[in-house]
Amino acid sequence: MGYAIKTKNLVKRYKDKTAVDGLTLTVEEGELIALLGVNGAGKTTTVKMLTCLTKPTEGKSSIMGRDVVEFPEDVKRLVGVSPQDTSVAENLTVKENLEFMAGLYLPKDKAEAAVVRTIKAFGLDEFQNKKAKLLSGGYKRKLSIAMALIGEPKVLFLDEPTLGLDVLARRQLWREIEALKKNMTIVLTTHYMEEAQELADRIVIMTEGKVKAIGTLEELESQTGKKGLEDVFVSIVENVE
Amino acid sequence: MKRTMVFAKRNLIEVFRDPLSWIFCIAFPIVMLIIMSVVNSAIPQEAGMTLFRIDNLAGGIAIFGQMFVMLFTAIAVAKDRSGAFLTRLYSSPMKSSNFVWGYILPMLLTAVIQVVISLIAAVVISVISEYTLNIAGLLMTVVAVIPSALMFSAIGFIFGAVFNEKAAPGICSIIISLGAIVGGIWFDVEGVGGFMYKLGKCLPFLYATKLARAAISMDFGVKEFFIPLGVVALTATVLSVIAGILFNGKMRADQG
Repeated sequence: MGYAIKTKNLVKRYKDKTAVDGLTLTVEEGELIALLGVNGAGKTTTVKMLTCLTKPTEGKSSIMGRDVVEFPEDVKRLVGVSPQDTSVAENLTVKENLEFMAGLYLPKDKAEAAVVRTIKAFGLDEFQNKKAKLLSGGYKRKLSIAMALIGEPKVLFLDEPTLGLDVLARRQLWREIEALKKNMTIVLTTHYMEEAQELADRIVIMTEGKVKAIGTLEELESQTGKKGLEDVFVSIVENVE
Repeated sequence: MKRTMVFAKRNLIEVFRDPLSWIFCIAFPIVMLIIMSVVNSAIPQEAGMTLFRIDNLAGGIAIFGQMFVMLFTAIAVAKDRSGAFLTRLYSSPMKSSNFVWGYILPMLLTAVIQVVISLIAAVVISVISEYTLNIAGLLMTVVAVIPSALMFSAIGFIFGAVFNEKAAPGICSIIISLGAIVGGIWFDVEGVGGFMYKLGKCLPFLYATKLARAAISMDFGVKEFFIPLGVVALTATVLSVIAGILFNGKMRADQG
């Protein structure tokens, strides 16, 4: 298997603040990695750079072998993004939201089939004619992820997908993400340790824009001598501070 | 083109499902048409004031209504910018021209629908007030006001791209008031003369109103029809280009 994501010394500076500082990372096809860090660690900025939402100040990055800065049009066809905040068209129904996104990525005949398939896969049948603004928080997130997926991306970026959801909605969304794992590469940013522990093949711990540790949970546990991701995380972050 | 149409469809649905669009874009101009017709019926013929006569009023109201389309364009763009929805679209294969025309086209359609409804209301009022309106002139008006619809949509787009969700409607309200005054919708700016008329001549609103009125009365004189058409079409073109450039810049700025 090849690499889905490759970055080398990726840097993003905003005036006097360095949001991401020399990020070097490789993610294999079909892998799910979790970017873990406190607020301002650089997780969202990393996602933004990899999805052509912001240009890096320095460094190189590629998605499925295509350079993100040189070939943004190609990269935009390869990635799907579910942003941190709810990002659905509020006055459109669930089905219309999906039709809209499918229309941006796929030819008409494929788009129609993709909408039907996605509604079924995400269990949205019951709500397909309901306006997005009337959905619960959990279903809005579900719709947001479904919208990111409908363009059949090779790499899916989920920026804090379960933020603000109750435990049941979060667990349900985990199951949806788990089901997607086999078919694509997923980058997940999260504050929730149990989420990363449950879903990720590898965990990347970031602080102050830098990668401080990377590996499977077992590898990180053996590096720090701690048990469980929360203790591992605290140990790494506190050692840095 | 396909992405523009997909995005335009989404924006059209958003506008049509917002009750405020119906109130401000359709109901309000019709109410003003009725009120001003009542005012006109109370003006004695000896006064020689024809501004509120249905043929003049209909043209003015058509332009007045388009100003609300500007407001709704500004709100739509500013609202999308304030949330994460545009972030999602920025990472999609959409180009800045898809965004600009995706916002402007549904607003153009809304403006045309609005003008048609206003003119139908004008026909009803003309029948009641026993004044004959030229139907060919009314049809001509629907076509003649397309450049001004584009102009107002582009102005709204620019305000929506520059200002936030709270500031954009306020700025548009100022433009609506200014446009209604110096555009000669509610009084005869040329008759008033002085600074007001000079200001009116420097801004495109007066030309838009003149063009609509000339089209209704089928007056195709150079001064009455073609010069206003040229001014409005040129302004619409320039503003649409500025809107595109501005959105490109804002797109980059929004992304950091």
